[in-house]
Amino acid sequence: MVGPTADSPVTLIVDGNTAAANRALPHGEDLWLPLDDLLSATSWELKPEGVCRGETCVPLSSSQRAAMLREEQASTWFNFSEFARLIEAPVAVDHEARTWYFGPPGWEWKSWSEGRAAPDFTAPDLTGQLHSLHDLLGRKVFLLFWASW
Amino acid sequence: MVTIAADASGRDVVKQWIDAAKPSHWTLLDPDLAVANLYNVRNVPSAFWIDETGRIVRANDPIYALRRGPAGGDASRNEPYLNAVRDWVANGPSSKYLADDAAIEKRRRSASFGDMEALANFELGVYLLRRGHSSSAQRHFDRAQELAPDNWTYRRQAWSLTGATRETIVKAIRDPAAPAFYPELDLGD
Repeated sequence: MVGPTADSPVTLIVDGNTAAANRALPHGEDLWLPLDDLLSATSWELKPEGVCRGETCVPLSSSQRAAMLREEQASTWFNFSEFARLIEAPVAVDHEARTWYFGPPGWEWKSWSEGRAAPDFTAPDLTGQLHSLHDLLGRKVFLLFWASW
Repeated sequence: MVTIAADASGRDVVKQWIDAAKPSHWTLLDPDLAVANLYNVRNVPSAFWIDETGRIVRANDPIYALRRGPAGGDASRNEPYLNAVRDWVANGPSSKYLADDAAIEKRRRSASFGDMEALANFELGVYLLRRGHSSSAQRHFDRAQELAPDNWTYRRQAWSLTGATRETIVKAIRDPAAPAFYPELDLGD
């Protein structure tokens, strides 16, 4: 058996959502999570058809599935970093703060600059009220990015 | 007109500027720079023109429509750019200032995996800094800068959050080896 023997809590940020995983096996650059906690920690879950989030499913070959799963300490563990590599999600890790950041999957970030359509977004104003770009269809929009610095 | 404050400095900092401008348009907050990343904005201010059908017709223009001198506060307006905006408002699809596909592609530039790793490190840095892990945060800001050296938004935000000195900032911007701070504004006329 290769790998760590102790498990410990980590913080995960997946597509902007922060969650704590009380049991996790950080192993080098790879983060293994108990399969039972995968959904609560990452919003992804393992199903017969693949790894799914809502309606989106990423199919796995049997060898991919085998590489992402291991039995240890009487639990089944899932290698979420391996899955992130598969879906081309960027990862940043801070071992000291035990925090793992997973960005959006490749099919999302590659679509941002595809074609001429302005990517839709929803953002709050100072009062917290949300506004969406698509509500301005039919009008010209001058979109200005600024900062205080 | 929609403005996006691509700024992780906090609501109160941003609010002073918005209150002073007393705007009637949407003034939206983007504290994690998520919208700025979606548009691959690499410095501010940066402007996009979006037509009635939701198509981008000018992208990522480096603009100061109004600039105030640091000493006297005297304002100089960027008249050529403002005239281009007025022309688009009046003439829409037949405005001579609409950019072609090649120009838009050049200004938007597709994100590479390295850009996305930079984003991941930048966002992790902001998260860590907000929780008081400033030395860890600095490591990730440095990594983001290595991965996406032309993204001045990450660099300037990190300088602001970590209290970099004016000397450090001016030196980095004037470094002849550094990518252009603002690309040239090309109005095509």
